[in-house]
Amino acid sequence: MDVLTGWWDDFFWGSIVILQVFLVALVMMVLFGLIGAAAKLSNSRIAQKLASAYTVIFRGTPELLVLLLIYYGSAIFLTNLFQLFDPSIKFVDIPPFWAGSFSIALIVGSYAAETFRGAFLGVDPGQIEAARALGISNFNTFIYVRIPEMWRLALPAFGNHMLSLIKDTALISIIGLNETMYAAEQAAGTTSKPFTMFIVAGCIYLGFSTVITLSVMLLEKRANKHLVGSR
Amino acid sequence: MSFEFSLIIDSIPKMLAGIGITLELLLLSMVIGTILAIFILLMRISNRWYLCWPAMSFIYIFRGTPILIQIFIIYYGFPQFEFIRESIFWPMLREPYGCAVLALTINNAAYVSEIFRGGVNGVDRGYLEAGAALGLSIRQRFIYITAPIAIRLSIPAYSNDVIGLMKATALASTITLLDMMGIARTIVAEYYAPYEIFISLAIIYLIMTWIIQNAFGLLEKRMSRHIRQ
Amino acid sequence: MINSVTSSEPIIRLKDVDKFFGGFQALKKINLNVEKGERIVVCGPSGSGKSTMIRCINRLEQHNAGHIIVNGHELTDQVKDIDAVRREVGMVFQSFNLFPHLSIIDNLMLAPKLVRKTPKPKAREQAMSMLERVRIPEQADKYPSQLSGGQQQRVAIARSLCMNPEIMLFDEPTSALDPEMINEVLEVMTDLAKEGMTMICVTHEMGFARSVADAVIFMDEGEIVERNTPEEFFNNPKSDRTKLFLSQILAH
Ligand SMILES: Nc1ncnc2c1ncn2[C@@H]1O[C@H](COP(=O)(O)OP(=O)(O)OP(=O)(O)O)[C@@H](O)[C@H]1O
Ligand SMILES: [Mg+2]
Repeated sequence: MDVLTGWWDDFFWGSIVILQVFLVALVMMVLFGLIGAAAKLSNSRIAQKLASAYTVIFRGTPELLVLLLIYYGSAIFLTNLFQLFDPSIKFVDIPPFWAGSFSIALIVGSYAAETFRGAFLGVDPGQIEAARALGISNFNTFIYVRIPEMWRLALPAFGNHMLSLIKDTALISIIGLNETMYAAEQAAGTTSKPFTMFIVAGCIYLGFSTVITLSVMLLEKRANKHLVGSR
Repeated sequence: MSFEFSLIIDSIPKMLAGIGITLELLLLSMVIGTILAIFILLMRISNRWYLCWPAMSFIYIFRGTPILIQIFIIYYGFPQFEFIRESIFWPMLREPYGCAVLALTINNAAYVSEIFRGGVNGVDRGYLEAGAALGLSIRQRFIYITAPIAIRLSIPAYSNDVIGLMKATALASTITLLDMMGIARTIVAEYYAPYEIFISLAIIYLIMTWIIQNAFGLLEKRMSRHIRQ
Repeated sequence: MINSVTSSEPIIRLKDVDKFFGGFQALKKINLNVEKGERIVVCGPSGSGKSTMIRCINRLEQHNAGHIIVNGHELTDQVKDIDAVRREVGMVFQSFNLFPHLSIIDNLMLAPKLVRKTPKPKAREQAMSMLERVRIPEQADKYPSQLSGGQQQRVAIARSLCMNPEIMLFDEPTSALDPEMINEVLEVMTDLAKEGMTMICVTHEMGFARSVADAVIFMDEGEIVERNTPEEFFNNPKSDRTKLFLSQILAH
């Protein structure tokens, strides 16, 4: 473990960056997923087409390709844009943190859109009708009946989406974000102990995955507690 | 900002020169990974702890970490050890190609074994009881009843897995391999035209996805032709 | 091990059999003797342990105490005895359980080929004759999902018969069927009974019980409450629980 002396803080800050990316991307992912699901469920043909294009494109394109396209593409776009106003500007880009978070959220959001759509349709219509029949307003039915039931149905797949997000954060080191993978690469380069360094990075990711898996299990247990004992 | 079509026309054939490597990575790790997955599955569902636990740990570790790290550990990490450099595997592990195949294979095996386990768990217990009542041994029940039904149940998830694997082959470009992604990255570095190159490449990958999806769709339809929903 | 059974020795013997599911006792000190060629109908309210009892006889469930001896083999953890018993005991399930990926003829040929090592042409010939016996030879090359429920259940019976069993167990074979299909299955079962097959049938088809059974057993809460001839059972039940049960099902 001596070789790690001096690198611990790099790994620590790297992990913090992973966590930040994860949280930012999680919020965006839910947003993209909900928008996608709403579009798929809407009556507008155009919205439906756009949403299914969204799913098809991001399911079939390598994550790395999406990331590089968004990072370099946005840089070119912004540089061109800024040069319209001030031709002396040489180069503008989005920080890797934001380009990366946005990219992985966009990718995983395309899967989440399907999950949310499925959960919405999976709610037993009988429950909704029962609530209406009891005179509960549409709004309250949505909040108190549909949302909790959707949550329960979507949780397992949603847990997988969170795992995808956390693992995809590793890609962002490729565009230069100072996270754990990046720390491991630096450490590997200077110490000639690459195996040790990447194993440490791997363990950190395994730790994050474990926490997510356990949290989802707990949440599932809570969401399903009314079903215990029934068959 | 302009979209240079001539660049696209020029670069598509260049990128397609790498499709061989992409497909090789995909097919090798799909086939070897699936075979490996069957062994892991058999260990995972066995009642013996010394078979079950290693399989569970394997699955947990390789599904719980990014594949990029797995590739780096194998390509950059393994040469740290003298005994690996002196082993008979060194000619393979020295090459980025061998490392990419190894990483993708192992990673894929972990996922596929869980997909197959889902299929096995999805087989209605009644069929197995009928098999038992007819006097079939545990092994015969697994081979003649569980396996064929589980395989059919696994096809949709397996198809998604193959698409995921195809996307993962692009990571081989991070260890200097010139698959389609690797070639695209060198062209982009040279001409600085990310839009043109990357979008064209995305379209190539989308076509491949479409083909994979439809192939498995046909297979599933064929295999379930006698089975009413 | 005794393989041929003398006439005095019952072909199935359950002695003080207990069965627990966790803390719940599903069978309580069950004693049951079945002679070769005897036809027994088992009835009783839902959850009374009927399925559990007959599933113990071919060890789809493991009993926790007591002895079960079938055709000379005591059922223990010995795989050899379990296999020997299962070869000689056919079972028909409520939900048919035909293998969905195999055609009808392959469903029938699978076990003879694998367990009895019957050569393929012989197995096919035998399978066809069994299909004729259950009156659907024309369906041989179809798949289970293409058949009606009554046809599927008849195939399931034929599948068991292909193993030439000494004993047949039926667990509510007609209760998943539409009413118009019940008779075609009962007819096949009646034929079997007439041929002298040893049978235990869990069923609520009282007409079948009256015309075919040598004895009717009534179970409740994991116990055998009453065993009687069909006439006595229906006309003159001994226990109050039987009377109550009969009044409920005959009211339908
Ligand atoms: N695998 C099991 N695990 C736990 N309890 C079980 C299991 N199988 C059966 N039981 C319980 O054992 C009791 C007897 O069940 P069994 O299936 O034998 O009843 P049954 O008489 O066949 O009823 P039915 O007419 O509904 O088929 C029931 O209370 C049931 O809940
Ligand atoms: Mg039952």
